[in-house]
Formats: sequence, structure tokens, C-alpha cells
Amino acid sequence: MNTTSNGAAGGAAAQPGTWTCPFCSLLCDGFALESGPVLQLHGSDCPRARSGLATFDDLGIATPSVDGAGRDLDAALDAAAARLAAARLPLFGGLAADVQGMRALYRLANVGGAILDHAHGEAMMPALRMLQDRGQMFTTLAEIRNRADLIVCIGTDAVSSYPEFFRRCAPAEGHEAACRVVFLAAGDGMPAADDIPWASAVESVRPAGDIFDTVAMLAALLDGRRIPDPDGALVALADAMRSARYCVIVWEPARLPPHGALVGETLLRLLMNLNRKTRAGALTLGGNDGAQTANGAMSWLSGLPLRSRVGPQGVDHDPLQYASARLLDERAVDLLLWVASFTPDLPPPQTTLPRIVLGHPALAAACAQPGTVFIPVATPGINADGHLLRADSVVSLPLYAMRDDGLPNVAEVARALLARLTSGVAAKEGAQ
Amino acid sequence: MTTIRLKGGRVYDPANGVDGEVRDICIRDGRIVALHPQDKVDTEYDLAGCVVMAGGIDLHTHIGGGKVNLARMMLPEDHRLNRPRDSLLELASTGCCTPGTLETGYRYAQMGYTAAFEPAMLATNARQAHMEMGDTPILDHGAYVMLGNEELFLEMLARGEDPQRIRDYVGWSINASRAMGVKVVNPGGISAFKFNQRKLDVDEDHVHWQVTPRQVVHSLARALSELGVPHPLHIHASNLGVAGNIDSTLATIDALEGLPGHLTHIQFHSYGREGPKKFSSAARQLVERVNAAPNVSIDVGQIIFGQTVTASGDTMRQFANADLGSPRKYVGGDIECDAGCGVVPFRYREQSYVNALQWAIGLEIFLLMDDPWRVVLTTDHPNGGPFTSYPHLIKLLMDKSFRDEQLARLHPDVAAMADLREIRRELSLYEIAIMTRAAPARLLGLTDRGQLGIGAAADIAVYREEADREAMFATPEYVFKDGRLVARKGRIEAVPVGGTHFVETDYDPAIEKTVEAYADRHASMSWRHMKIGTDELCSCSNGGALLACKVHGRGRTL
Repeated sequence: MNTTSNGAAGGAAAQPGTWTCPFCSLLCDGFALESGPVLQLHGSDCPRARSGLATFDDLGIATPSVDGAGRDLDAALDAAAARLAAARLPLFGGLAADVQGMRALYRLANVGGAILDHAHGEAMMPALRMLQDRGQMFTTLAEIRNRADLIVCIGTDAVSSYPEFFRRCAPAEGHEAACRVVFLAAGDGMPAADDIPWASAVESVRPAGDIFDTVAMLAALLDGRRIPDPDGALVALADAMRSARYCVIVWEPARLPPHGALVGETLLRLLMNLNRKTRAGALTLGGNDGAQTANGAMSWLSGLPLRSRVGPQGVDHDPLQYASARLLDERAVDLLLWVASFTPDLPPPQTTLPRIVLGHPALAAACAQPGTVFIPVATPGINADGHLLRADSVVSLPLYAMRDDGLPNVAEVARALLARLTSGVAAKEGAQ
Repeated sequence: MTTIRLKGGRVYDPANGVDGEVRDICIRDGRIVALHPQDKVDTEYDLAGCVVMAGGIDLHTHIGGGKVNLARMMLPEDHRLNRPRDSLLELASTGCCTPGTLETGYRYAQMGYTAAFEPAMLATNARQAHMEMGDTPILDHGAYVMLGNEELFLEMLARGEDPQRIRDYVGWSINASRAMGVKVVNPGGISAFKFNQRKLDVDEDHVHWQVTPRQVVHSLARALSELGVPHPLHIHASNLGVAGNIDSTLATIDALEGLPGHLTHIQFHSYGREGPKKFSSAARQLVERVNAAPNVSIDVGQIIFGQTVTASGDTMRQFANADLGSPRKYVGGDIECDAGCGVVPFRYREQSYVNALQWAIGLEIFLLMDDPWRVVLTTDHPNGGPFTSYPHLIKLLMDKSFRDEQLARLHPDVAAMADLREIRRELSLYEIAIMTRAAPARLLGLTDRGQLGIGAAADIAVYREEADREAMFATPEYVFKDGRLVARKGRIEAVPVGGTHFVETDYDPAIEKTVEAYADRHASMSWRHMKIGTDELCSCSNGGALLACKVHGRGRTL
């Protein structure tokens, strides 16, 4: 049901720039992928990409299932549509899909009214709440690559979830300028100087206290406020940030403790202050598994971000009430439609509610249960074309099918469900 | 084959010199045709008592792209109120200042508009802009790619690159991003802000590249002229919102040296420094200069009182105004060595001297311009106010007594002193039709839109004649898009996917080598991905028609 658009398909080694990696929100497009039964990555040893690609090795024939029994696609779609038609308030969760998938899911959600939240909704909320309450001051990968003379990673080593991050920030050979990288309250196991060869220095600062104390102290120092017995390294860092020409703060909301939005707000205030005299910006690491894309597409279509309910009554947004885990725990919804098209690492949450899963073929076993309809779907960048939005919220990139595994993509499945719902067939079956 | 006759309406079609003549308009398969009065048609509409115009065209409205979407996410309070849906064809979508794309399409169509152009598409964000516009139903759309602040262009200018190479680069950029034209925002200033420069006058050097806004404006205008791109360089001039900026605005017009240029949201650039508050209207100075410069066109960017949000690529000026935000929030970003974005929510208040004067200045510009073909009706949506206030704005322009009533409610110094009090002019329906359809179509090079001649696309708005022009223009009786009834008395009747307008220029492809080398050194994506292919554009724009306009440059040498 999908087309293989890329000339690289068919076993030939692809040129760099003809494959876009879907396995994290940095969307690296500088590596080559050799297509075939086993997909081979050239030019990077990114563990995230390698493990993502390995899930497609020798992919067998993936079949849909209904309540654990294998069915053909039409029968699985019929069953899914019937259960959807019978639901009064479904939750569309996971949402690990590309733009075209989200467009189709949005239409489907409108039919009876559904709540939409992403698998990483909880991790996205600190940045979203900060944006809604105060705003943001951001920068992007190319700006960092060309302009940063000080990068401060706060509460994150960046590379655990985004292994290529520092390589993506690297200045071109021959264009290196002095740039320090400082890890602040980033825990153990940070990258060493060898891991960031282009940096003029790689340092770690670990003040006493939690991350809330640390960023509050840093903000106070940058405000020029007098603090009793300040941490010397933090004082030095504040001075360095003030004297940097272009300081970049890197933070990763997913790694923050509860109420992480407060860290984000303090960072924003600190950045607004810094920018009164010099230049600085933040890069938010987040948005993996299509989270950036799902939130972006949801916002432009509806006017409101994820954790919203859409339907005949309009759009209702509530970042607290419409959290997937809460809705499922409280059984406030009566069906879960779960989308996980990139990796098998996003299995649907366990629940006794009916589930419809549009998932990576390797999720088949986890979804072979009573009450669950499983429909294997294609993955953008592997066996489907697509578009994803990058972590920095500006750049979106095309992804190409590198081979054809005969799987429908998320948009096709969502459209097939919509057609069944609007034709009334599903409603009749659901009433039986 | 579908045929429609719109019978007996009063037709205002300035592109064909038709001024209020009662006549029939006939449609076959989405185009306007000549039919004999005896010919049978599938559907006939009796338009006695109605006014017929081409569908409205908004040539400057921020409807798609990263900063608009950030504004949506940033302002949930603007999106809480759900307007009840009139039609089951409408999907859920909400918002007033920065509505969702679906809501944007529905509201524009309900108002009789059939095309809208996003003026500030970043090359690095072009895909998303096309995706958002593709999700804006009913309307045809297009965008101007922002140039003049990207490091590659500034580097070329700084090293004194041959203008032909700059022309090739501009042509490449238009084709790569699938743009309808080129916009320059605070020429050089967005980049300068990244180097911590806080002000950049027309003849001041960019602190790093040592080039001036004058050079930026002139070289882009020249490139477009040589490429033969129909839309003149779309210019958001230096010093937006700064008292006394009339000097830099006039200097920017000089920088064109007679080349075509379109100065956008000119109201924000027409301020003097007179009076006790050192802030005054320079509308007369501006209009005098524009009236005498046939190469220059403008749109106004009228402000409308109430809540809105300002979203601009002009980070230098937006950051300077961040503290004025209401509610107090700010989004700012430096983007990909390409451009930037700044979003500041704003409430225009009648009792603010500055806001009241801004309101008066906008109206003065509309009413003082001799030639309606060179002034386009805009609020710079959402920066001066949401596009849904166009009917109110039309009433202000057509009704002197209504204007006076509004003026009397403003800050007393403005109410007592504004030049606007003395301007008696009331625009006619013919002039409104020019400013909202015929002129924007001409300025964009759309030969078969914005007019009702034989062969034109049947994008048509039918209004029931009413003395209250606001009510009349808010809810047309019928709206047709490519001959299909899409709205009737404010109710959406059909939701076709709109088409994408873009130009295809002719340039020396050798310039790709320069772009590729630059991308390897400085960009964060493969240079191949800087181009949007035709299939990809199709997918981004949701399968709407691709309305390519091929242009052939003048003076091209290979």
C-alpha cells in the first residue's frame, strides 16, 4: 500500500543526504543507509539509530490480529471501526506518527470526539506549560554550530537520549572557534573532552542542592543579586555566561523531576536577562517518537496543542486532566487507540479497556490479547515516506521509504477507519 | 459540465473597468464564461439587490509557519472560546488572533475571501509553512520566502559578489522553497541582532558583514526584477514601530532606485517625532512620496483595538518590545543562520495615545492615497488585528460618520488633533474592490484571479447590499471557489482543498554548488533537503492544485 520513493532502495548503498533517521527528533540526514533485508547504517555509530534499525532486520510477514487471533487487514479494520464507533470517549494515545498520519488521525478523532495525547505527553508538558505561561527564547542547531561560544547543558548529558547531539553542533573543519561545553547538575557519566573534540574545554559543575536550587541560584547570580556563600563554580559559570557572545542553554524536560516547568520558567527569565546585554538562546531536547510532530500538527489544525479533546463541541485543552495515564487509571475514557509507528519500545499501556493498536510489527506479540485489535503499520523513513518536525521546532524534513514491506502507513489506516465510520457500516456492527 | 448563472447582480470588477453595472455572470466548470441569456444552466441564482465581486485576496496575512504555530501554542486563552459550528462540514478548530488552519480557512471563506498569502516563510521552515497552508481549507495560498538576513546572502553581498550570481541565488531560493515572491524583513537586522546589534539604520553597517540595509534592499529588488518575478520585493522596512521611522522608510524607498518594491504594513513605518509626546503621524509625508513613486505599492497593516498577538521575523524589534507584551509573554528565536522569529501578545487600547495615533495613521494612509491600485487592505493579520476585522475596517473607510464616532472614543489628544478629522473621503465599493481583490491580484501577477472577465477562475463573492457595510461584508450571501458554492450566508457548504501558487524562475543552476558548499560548512541539514520537490509539495499541500507561474528573466546570461 505504500510506494518506495527513494532511488536508494533495492540493496544499493545510499548517498548521505538521501536518508533521514526517524529514531530521534534530531532527524539526522547526513548518514547513508544501505537498504535490504538488513538495513545498514554508514557514517554513524549512533546506538539509538542502530537499535531502531535492528528492529527491522529480516522482518517477517506481519499480520493484523483481533483479540489475539490473526485476521486480514480488512477484517481487523472492520473490528477496529466497530469498537471505535461504540466508544463514547476514546483516547488517541501514543501518536508516534508523522505529519500525514496526524492529519488523518485528527479527522478520525473529530468523528465521535476523542482526546489526543502523546506517549511522551508528560515529558512535553514542562516546555509547553512554560510556553503558555511565559514564552520561550530558543535557538536552533545551525545557530549553535556557527555561533555558540558557550554551551551549558543543564540537568542533562544530552547524549543519553540524543547520541548525535554534539556531532550535530560541531563547527565545520577549519571553522572552529573557541567554544566551551559545561555540564551543570548533569549527573554522572557525562561525555568526556574526547567525545566533543571540537570543544575548547569540557567541564562539569555540580553545586550542592537539587536542580531547582541550582537554576534559581544561577538566575540570581545573573540578576546580579547578592547571595550568601555562593558556590564558586556557579559564580564563575554565571560570569562566563555574561561574557559569552552567544551562550546556549541545553535542557531536556523529560529528565526533570515533577514541576519541571518551574526550571523552564527560571531558565527563560535568566535568558531574557542575559539577552539584555549579550546574546543567548535555549535548545530544548525533546519530541522523540514524533512528539514534536504530533504537537505541531495538532496545534496548527485545531489551534490548541496536545492534551486536547476535539469533536462536534469544538476543542477543549487541558494539560492536566487530559494526561493519558490519568485518563486510563480513572477509566475516564472507554477506548484506547494507540499509535506507535517508529519502534517497538512504545508498547500500549496495559488496560482492561478495549485497545486498537496501530504499531510497529514487532509489537504484535505484546498486542495479541483479548480486547485488542492490532494493525501493523509502516515506519516513516524505513518502509514509508513521511515528514517529521525536528526538536528545535523549526525544521521539518522529508523521510523516505528505503524498502517496501507491504505495510499500510498510519494515514492509510486512519483513513480506512474514517471511511468505515462515516459510511455507517461500523456503527451498525458496533450496535450488534 | 456544471453551469451556473448569477443573474442581475450589481457587478464591481475594476480589473475590467466594471463599476456597479447590473449584469449576469456565468460559470462553466469553474471558469467564467459568456452564455447567451437564453442558454439553459444547471443552477441560476437571482442576485437582485446584491453586489458581486471577485473573491477577496489577502496578500499579507500570517496564516502558516513556525511562528504562527508557536503563537497558537502560546495563547491557549485565545483559543478557549469555541464558536458554535454552523456546518457539519467543519472540523473542530478554534482561535481568534491565531486560529487553527482549519478555522482560518472557514472564516476567510465565510467572509468572501478565496486566497491568502503568507508573507514570511523562512526557507528553513518552508515545508511546515506549506503543510499549514495545505491544511487551510478552501483558500488558495502562497508564500514569500524571507531573504536578506541569511548568512549566505550577506556573505555574498559582503564579498561584492556579481549581481548575476545573487540573482541566481535568489532564483534558486524561490524555486527551492516554492515561493510566490521574496520578502525582506528588517534588511540585515535579524542577522545583526544575532551579533548583538540592537539598531540598524538604512545606511548603517551590519556589525559583522559590513553591509547596509540599503544594499540588501537594492540587490534583492534588482534580482527579482531581473528574474521577472511578478510580485515586487515585499519589504518590511528598518526600524518598525520606532518614533521618527519615516526617515528610514523614505530612505528605503530611495534604495529601490526606481525598481519595484512593495512596502508592507506601512502604518508601522510612518511615524514622526513631532509634538509633546515625540510621536506623530507622518502619513502625509509618506503618501506624498508614494504618490510620486509609481514603482512603489503598499499595504497598510491597520491596527484594530483589542487583543491580538504580534508575530514577526524581526527579532531585533520584537525583543525591544518584549516588555510591552500583554499578557506578558515572549517567544523569540534565532533560526538556522537564516532568520528569526519574535512573538509578543499585544492589546491595542483606545485610550493609549500611541495606539490611537497608530489607528488614525493607518486610516489616513488609506484615505490620502491617490491611486487605490497601489494600496492593499490589510491588518497584517494578526499583528495589527485579526483578519476577521476586515468588514469593520471597510466600514471605517466607507463611512465618515462611523469613523468620526470611533475617533471620538479615542485618547483625547488624538481625537482632538488627528489629521484624520479633516479627511472627508469615503471609499466607494469600486475602490474597496480594488484594494481587496483587483490590486492584490495585479501585484501578485495573478492574471485569472481577482477579476470577473471571461476566462477568469470563478472565485466570486456575492454580498447583499446593506447600508451597514460591516454587516454586508461580514456575511456574504454566496461565496464561490472555482465555481463551487463554498459558503452561503456564513454557512460553509463545501470544503475543497485550496491550490498553491508559486513561481518558477529561470536561473543558472551552477549556483547550487555555492549552496551545497555553504550547507556543508554551516547548515544543519543536507543541502538536498533545502529543496522541496514537486511530489513533496503535493504531499505538504494536501494534494491541492499546484498553480505554478513560470517566469523568464530579463538579461539572463549563461
